[in-house]
Amino acid sequence: MTLSEDQILALAPDDASKKSGKDLANPSKWVSKGINELALWGECQGSGSKPYQTQVDIINIAFKCSCPSRKFPCKHGLGLLLLHVRQPQTFTRAEIPAWVAEWINKRSEKEEQKTEKKDKPVDEAAQAKRQQAREQKVNNGIDELLVWIKDIIRNGILNIPEKSAAFWDGMQKRMIDAQAPGLAGMIKELTDINFYKEGWQSKFIDQLARIYLLVTAYKNISTLNEDLQADIKNLIGFTQNQDELKSKDGIKDDWFVLGKQSTQEDQLTVERNWLYGINTKKYALVLQFYVRNQLPTITLTPGIITSAELVFFPSASPLRALLKQQFNSKEITNVDGFQNWNEVALEETRLNQSNPFINKYPFIVHRLKPVQYNNQWCLQDDEKRLMHITDVFTNIWKLLSISGGKALSISITGKENYYTPLGVWHNGEYKLL
Amino acid sequence: MESWNNIINTALLGTDKKQLSNIELSADLNNVFEQINRNDSLDKEDKFLQVTAVAFNYRQSGLTALLQESITIKETEPETKTYCNTNALHVLKDILEQQNIPLLKFWLQHCDAQQQIVPPEIIPALFDIAVAQKRIQQLITSCCGKRGEWLKGFNTNWNFFTGENDEDVWQNGTTDQRKIVLGKTRAADAIKAREWLQQTWQTENANTKAELLKMFEVNLSSDDVTWLESLQEEKSQKVKDVVFDLLKQIPDSSIVLNYWQVLQQSVVLKKEKALLGMISKTSLHVQLSGFDAALFKTGIEKLSNTKDFSDDEFIIYQLMQFVLPHNWELHFNNTPQQIIEYFIKDKTAKKFLPAFVNAIIRFKNSKWALAFVENHQTFNSSLIPLLQEKEQEKFSLQYFESNADHLIQIAVKRTTQWSFEFVNTVFRHTAKNTYQYNKIFYSEAIHLFPHAIVAELEKFTPQEQYIQSSWSNMSEYIMKLVSLKLQTIQAFNLK
Repeated sequence: MTLSEDQILALAPDDASKKSGKDLANPSKWVSKGINELALWGECQGSGSKPYQTQVDIINIAFKCSCPSRKFPCKHGLGLLLLHVRQPQTFTRAEIPAWVAEWINKRSEKEEQKTEKKDKPVDEAAQAKRQQAREQKVNNGIDELLVWIKDIIRNGILNIPEKSAAFWDGMQKRMIDAQAPGLAGMIKELTDINFYKEGWQSKFIDQLARIYLLVTAYKNISTLNEDLQADIKNLIGFTQNQDELKSKDGIKDDWFVLGKQSTQEDQLTVERNWLYGINTKKYALVLQFYVRNQLPTITLTPGIITSAELVFFPSASPLRALLKQQFNSKEITNVDGFQNWNEVALEETRLNQSNPFINKYPFIVHRLKPVQYNNQWCLQDDEKRLMHITDVFTNIWKLLSISGGKALSISITGKENYYTPLGVWHNGEYKLL
Repeated sequence: MESWNNIINTALLGTDKKQLSNIELSADLNNVFEQINRNDSLDKEDKFLQVTAVAFNYRQSGLTALLQESITIKETEPETKTYCNTNALHVLKDILEQQNIPLLKFWLQHCDAQQQIVPPEIIPALFDIAVAQKRIQQLITSCCGKRGEWLKGFNTNWNFFTGENDEDVWQNGTTDQRKIVLGKTRAADAIKAREWLQQTWQTENANTKAELLKMFEVNLSSDDVTWLESLQEEKSQKVKDVVFDLLKQIPDSSIVLNYWQVLQQSVVLKKEKALLGMISKTSLHVQLSGFDAALFKTGIEKLSNTKDFSDDEFIIYQLMQFVLPHNWELHFNNTPQQIIEYFIKDKTAKKFLPAFVNAIIRFKNSKWALAFVENHQTFNSSLIPLLQEKEQEKFSLQYFESNADHLIQIAVKRTTQWSFEFVNTVFRHTAKNTYQYNKIFYSEAIHLFPHAIVAELEKFTPQEQYIQSSWSNMSEYIMKLVSLKLQTIQAFNLK
């Protein structure tokens, strides 16, 4: 297990759990504790008569505890992991106790069952009929959307900032009715543009052009290759059967978790995990959605390397992937990446060529340094070329302090000339930003 | 980019008013434009949107990063100190999470004492704290090393950490900055500070003069008398008030000497016969004499503001506050203890004892302070800080029951750790008053508690049930703070 203290704390559900977890990272709080190649366990004396039994699956980081806390992981799980990082010598290699063995065995059985699970027989005729009906609905919605877009273009976008919320909501709701939630989301992105900020016009037309390109592509979908068809359908809002996807062979690699970005969308937490395959040199995005208080099904800790099998969604430029199997964590090694902005631009051009709908993409770029240009922070390569750092990035001082004016290897996400740093390699250590 | 701007301009006006033409697009896009334009099945909006969609992808695909050869960044200088170890860093992160400034100060003091610095990623968080916490700015500056010095140049909010020397700040800084640097210089080199102010005196306005002069309260001495007395003729009353305040604190100033002259004549010992002349006793006589009305100009009030004092007595009371307690020893040729006895015995003279206390505090006379606190009739808790720390504890324990809150207030200002007995006494009181002595109190005083107190916390649990749980929570909090303090010490003592 190669989790660092920061990585463990990043797993905490809230600040209170972090604090309590740290308090429990003290040998005196634990009646017993042990470790083997599969699990870490301990008994923590709480307020009850019996100590709480805490166990951690160290292969596919997962927690179980007999305490009544609804938080996940609870403070005992965090405390046990922290204690192991701080004082590994206090853990004895021991025979796994029955209560830990039972849980670990159940977990592996479940995994096996999941992979062995056979699909129920499918009524193909009914499925095709449902599919046809949905496509019809989407087509009808798209026709209305096209009229709406053309109206905007005909009348000009000068007065767009003055449009009421109903103008945008109406079309979003229409797209939901048309079973095209992806398009509804893209319309929402139009409303998210800051109309008080200079340059909104270009951002607005960018997004409108993307929507137009998408809906016209959908109307001509049969003329496109299968991968691009999958991209278009995915963007419109057709879902991919994840069980079916998981049944396919994935790509096994040592995946470096470059960063995790969480956003709140309505009641949903959307977690974007950016990964990089050390051997395959592939980038991946593992998305996870969960509502508040629900347990996330997968735990990918930024900064660690995890051996795992990922299945990529079909796409002309595969990026989004499902985590099929996770094996264990590894020590940090050197990673390959792009040497300068020119190489990044070439890669983006290649990706755009195969998939014109491409959005933010992750990259690892070596030898970049933060510099100021026209009162804006940029990343400069060795050839003195600059790309802007996005406004949403709030840790510029941390990045600047770590760099000390020297070039660093940086992981970023973004496109065109705006990028958000995720982490940096400094003195052989990956530091999250 | 020009093509894209033309597209935006068309979009702003709308296709009803303006159509995109091929001359507005780059040569690469002309061919595409012609193809789309030739398609008669498309309306003008479709044509515009299709050209825009192509231009959008063309723009993205053809992007090259901006070349700016003149943009450079200076590298930070190499560090001369070593980085703190991982354990110390973990403790620091815990302390930052607790937002506990006294513990942070404690940690920084250890780091600085070991000539160590924090890793670069922590510096911005520390600088943000330093903006609000002036008292630890110097320590933070020192613990952030060369990189901190380099980093502050990029953020104007962090200009508290100026690389400039004090003299530059004195010459060019704002009034607040000049006050700080003058105060600092006054503490280190009183003569230099006086010379600085003398040099710029004529160019300062009245408000600034008064503000800067207030910094002279530190290290006041007879060396300052000549210059300060020359300022008595300043036009501004505000400045004059500060000048008089300062002069009243210097025993050699003519003001204080005049006061003393009056007091020498007004407070005298007289031998009186008693018991039909069988015995003679010495007693104090207090009667204003030799008073010059000019002294009223120095801030002495003419009329009494309390019914306990006549106007003459009130004048004497005021004068007594400004003379050295030691003068009385010479005047009566006796010890402080005996002089205090004279005052206690005489009903009228006894009223003047608080004026003595003020004079002792003003001139920080620990000998007289000790004489006052030793006598239970004249004990005054305000004199405790003037004593040696050991004596402070002794008398604080002796008079704790009747002055608990004030004595605690004084004790938290101490710099050395409290004795086990004293912390026991304090906790027995504070445990019963968890609303008054809340987390802020324990956090501010954490550096004073001995570690061993952690084992004793349970025994302070109050009898009253309704506050038992508050104390239990507080005990946990104290344990956490003490543990962080201990971890700090251990982390910096690792070999």
